[in-house]
This record gives sequence, structure tokens and C-alpha cells, in this order.
Amino acid sequence: MSDWMIELVDITKRYGNIVANDHVTLRIRRGELMTLLGPSGCGKTTALRCITGQNIPDEGRVFIDGKDVTDVPTHRRELGMVFQNFALFPHMTVFENVEFPLMIRRMDKSERAKLVRDALKLVRLEGYEKHYPRQLSGGQQQRVGLARALVYRPKVLLLDEPLSNLDAKLREEMRFEIKDLQQRLGITAVYVTHDQEEALALSDRVAVMNKGCVQQVGTPAEIYDHPATKFVADFIGLSDFIPAKVVAVEPERVVLDVQGERIAAPPSESVSPGLDVLLFIRPNDVRLRAAEGDRQPNEIAGVIAKSTYLGDKFDYRVDVHGVEVRVQTHGAERFDNGQAVYVYLPHERCRIILESLVCPVR
Amino acid sequence: MRTLRQYLQALLNAKKLLAYTFLLCFFLWVTTPFLMILLKSFGRNWFGKLWFPPEFTLDWYKWAITVTNVPEVLRNTLVIAGIAVTISTLIAIPTGWALGRRQIPGKEVIMSTILLPRMIPPIAYALGVAQIFYRLHLIDTHIGVAIAHVAICAPYAILVLSSTFEGLDERVLEAASVCGANNLRTFFHVTLPLVMPGILSSIIFTFTTSYNEFTLTLMTYGPKTITLPVRTYLAVGEGYWEVTSALSMILIIPSLFVLFMIQRQVQPEKLVGGFKGV
Repeated sequence: MSDWMIELVDITKRYGNIVANDHVTLRIRRGELMTLLGPSGCGKTTALRCITGQNIPDEGRVFIDGKDVTDVPTHRRELGMVFQNFALFPHMTVFENVEFPLMIRRMDKSERAKLVRDALKLVRLEGYEKHYPRQLSGGQQQRVGLARALVYRPKVLLLDEPLSNLDAKLREEMRFEIKDLQQRLGITAVYVTHDQEEALALSDRVAVMNKGCVQQVGTPAEIYDHPATKFVADFIGLSDFIPAKVVAVEPERVVLDVQGERIAAPPSESVSPGLDVLLFIRPNDVRLRAAEGDRQPNEIAGVIAKSTYLGDKFDYRVDVHGVEVRVQTHGAERFDNGQAVYVYLPHERCRIILESLVCPVR
Repeated sequence: MRTLRQYLQALLNAKKLLAYTFLLCFFLWVTTPFLMILLKSFGRNWFGKLWFPPEFTLDWYKWAITVTNVPEVLRNTLVIAGIAVTISTLIAIPTGWALGRRQIPGKEVIMSTILLPRMIPPIAYALGVAQIFYRLHLIDTHIGVAIAHVAICAPYAILVLSSTFEGLDERVLEAASVCGANNLRTFFHVTLPLVMPGILSSIIFTFTTSYNEFTLTLMTYGPKTITLPVRTYLAVGEGYWEVTSALSMILIIPSLFVLFMIQRQVQPEKLVGGFKGV
């Protein structure tokens, strides 16, 4: 038995001239929840539809549970799916909706009733059996969708932006409910979303996609702390990108030239002296102090261009030799517009990103 | 303060009164002609300026049924309506599917072409139809009259069905296939139940259209294909008002039945959608 529950191997899918999936390779472990994260049009839904079989890839193979299912039609793939618009059967009651996959499988009537009751209990919808979907709230409808997807214990649970039609408070609540269910049942799940917060909160691993390519696959912490491309860094959280040139590559550090100043960053792969790179850092990792005394290593001089009060923090735009650096501080110390400051870029928080890197995961 | 409230209350009551008066007038305006026909068809010796017939009888119905040969005429009407409904529905299902669910260039042009027979005066259209039918020997055949009816029945059917199919949510069908249903079972368990109300209302509309159609029938009928509306018209010419009224009542009954069916069967909210927040 292979470790992978779902494997997309070198999938390419075109719609006319548009390449929706460009050599996408994704492997999803048994029992893990993987999120496909990206902006609309990034190819995450196309990839999901390759798993469901609603899309047949132009190139590449799809494996579920070690079996090549590329040419297997949707209805024989044994999947459970939750849809963004719920996609319940409007002419059936809640009970009939959840019973549908079992009815299709010609299961015994009394056994069906038992499984439906169990599934409805799982999503806390007992007592709503005779309601029609239109009589339920959005959150309740999505719970019915979840029960329908889980009732026959499919190998894989697919969730296509399941929470984006719900209001913010309910969304957060359902997020944990889904995570909890997925862990309790130990089911493999693929979760498609454009909401980075949702992805970080839910996932065991995240696959960030853009323009039909997988940009990076990793745990939420890896994605946040070590973004592989400019896109990933930009898409998840706030970012500073400072143009820099590699001066020296040493075993312990990489020395960069930032507007004539020397900045040290942790070692990075595939950099060589003379290369133009981006120095990436999160605005809340940058420190500021008034420009007094000698500058420490990794400090560069700048001038406060704009400051904004955000309640729990200050947001500064600092002009560093013509480059704007965004800084967020929680400290009590305030800086005024036009004040000269030293901007400290902590060595261990600096990352080197190659702007030319667009489709790193192949 | 209190007087103000009373004043507003009175205004509100007056508004209500006005609304009810208006409703009553409308009701009378719609129903009185029917009432007149009903009384006429049962009344005897009802002449002059009397508001109510002095005696009641079933004679006119007996006359209508024997003299004007109602069973035969009703049979003609139903056969023609049946054929017209069948052809219209068979045309409208694929057309409606294509117009409702596919991206077709010039959709609006196609739609207005389909609706054209309903826009031009029926008598002008019927004249043209008659000219063609004489040459094709379709005059005085059930199929011929039915085909003439299709020209005005099918637009209704296409209009109703294209919006029915348009409202059918592709993702609900996808959900069925993810749940394990193949195309056939998706069709029978999901697609068909969802579009059935639309198909049913299309059938009801086309049926009543054909059943009540007068102008097109008048230009294409013959002795073997007299329908109820035409027979009623002819009876007016023959001068027996009571018999004509009885005929009209017979003509009305199926329409009332259909109206009842629409109320019972077609629940638009069951059609498609009804989701919250989408």
C-alpha cells in the first residue's frame, strides 16, 4: 500500500489557448488534509476536477489509492464532495439527500436509515430529516452537504470552497468543525480555497498555486516562514521585497548589497555572487530605532515616509535610499514622519527569493 | 396624538376598503360573463330584461350533445390538442435545452424568430397556413390542424422549457455523479424530477392553447375536424343561444380542470433553486 492516497502526476490541462494546469504534480498522504490555495484562475479548481473526474487531463495521470483512475468516470471513483453552493438536491428532504449515495449503491433500506442517522448525528443535524434544503440556513445546508459526502465513508473527501458562501462568524466555526470531523474520521481530504487564513488554520499541508503551477507545497509554517517564490510570500501575509545583489556566498551566510549597504542573510540554494535577488522579510519582523550612535550589523539608514496607527500596532513606510520598506511595530516608541531611523533586518528572518522563479515545483 | 393615530387608522381602513372594492369589481368583471353563460345554459323561458331565469332545465345540454354532436367534436378537439402538445413538447425539449444551457451565437434572434407566430395577427398567419395546407392536402386532417396549432403552441413550450433548463444547476448534477450516480440514474433521480414541473406546465399551457385555439382552426378545419371553439362559433350563427351557452360550458370545463391542476401540481418554488445565500 503506497503512502499516497491521491497522486496527480505531471497533469496538464488546457482550455483552448489557456493552460489551466501546467505540469502539476501533487501527492497527498493518507489521512492528511491538503489545501490547494491560490487566487481565482490559478488552476486549483481544475486540479480538483481532475481528481473528481469532471476534467480529463490532456497529459499526465491521476491515481487514487494507488490505482490509475485517469479514465475512470466520476461516479465510479468513490469520492465524497462538498460544494461551494452546497449543490443539494432541492427536491429531496435532508434525509433523502444524505441517503442518495446509499440509494445509488442499492444498499439495504434499514441499513441506509441507520447510516443516514449516524451521518446526520455527525454533523449535528438530528431532527431535520424531513426538512427541505430551502428551509435550512446556509450553515445547516452545508452540514447536509458534509453528511451527504461522508455517509458512505468514501476514500477521499473533497471540499471546493465550502465556506465561502457563509458569513464570517459561521465560517470560522465551520472551519474547526470540518477539521475536527476530518481528524476524527481519519479521512484524506483535499480542500480548495482562496482564503489564506483558512488554509493556514486547517491544513496539514498547503499547496500554493498560481497561473496553473504549483508554487510550493509544505506545512503552513513552512509556507509562511520559508516562501519559495515571490508569489507565495506575497499571497500569504504581508511582505517586504527589497531589491538586492549577492556580494558573497559563505557557508554560514550570504552577504547582500542593498542600495550600497551590506546585509547578511541565511544561506540559500542556487545563489551566486553578482546575482540580482529579492530580500524578503515580514514587516512585523523588522525593527526600528531612532538614528543615534553607530549602526549595528544588518541595520540600514532610512527616513519615515508615512505612519499609520492601527490600534494594536503602528504601520510605517520607511524610505531606505529610494526603496519603500514596510514596518509594523508593537512597541511604545513612536516615530514621526520625516524622522531619520535605523532599520534593523534580523539576520535569521531574512530570506532570499529569486524573482525569476515562477514555477518551482515540477 | 390619539387623534392622529385614529386618523391614520381610518386612512388605513379606507385603503383596505378601497382595495377590497377594487378586488370585488375585478372579480365580478371576470366572473359575470361566465355566470351569464351558466344561467343561460340551464335556464328556460329566459327572455327580455329578466335578471334571473324563471325555470331550469338540462334540455340544452341534451340538445348540444345530440344536435351538435359533442362527443365527436370533443374527440376531434382532444386528438388535435394531443398531437399539438406532443409535437410541441418534442420540439421544445431539445430547443429549450440548447437555448437554456448552451452558448449559441444570435440567441436573441433565434428566440424572436420562434416567437414571431405569436406576434403577428393570427388571422394573417392563418391565411398563409391555409394556402399552404390546401396544396399539401392537409386541410381537414387532424394532423394538419394540429401542425397549424404547433406554430403557436411551440413558442410557449420553448419559452417555458428554456427557462426551466436554464435554472437547472449544473453543480447539482455534478453532485449526483460524485455521489456515484451514472448518467442514467442522475437523469431519473435528479434531472427529471427537477425539470418535471417545467415540462408539466409547458404541457398544460400548450394544451390549453390548442384546446382554445379558434382562428387557426377556422382556416384549416373541415367537416371531419370541427373543434369545440369552432362548433360553438357555428352554433352562434345558427341562432340557438341556449345551446351555444351549453356548448361554451362544455368548452370551459377542461380549462377549469387545467387551472386546478396548475394550482395543485406546479409549485414553482419546487422547480429549481430556493437556496439561501446563493
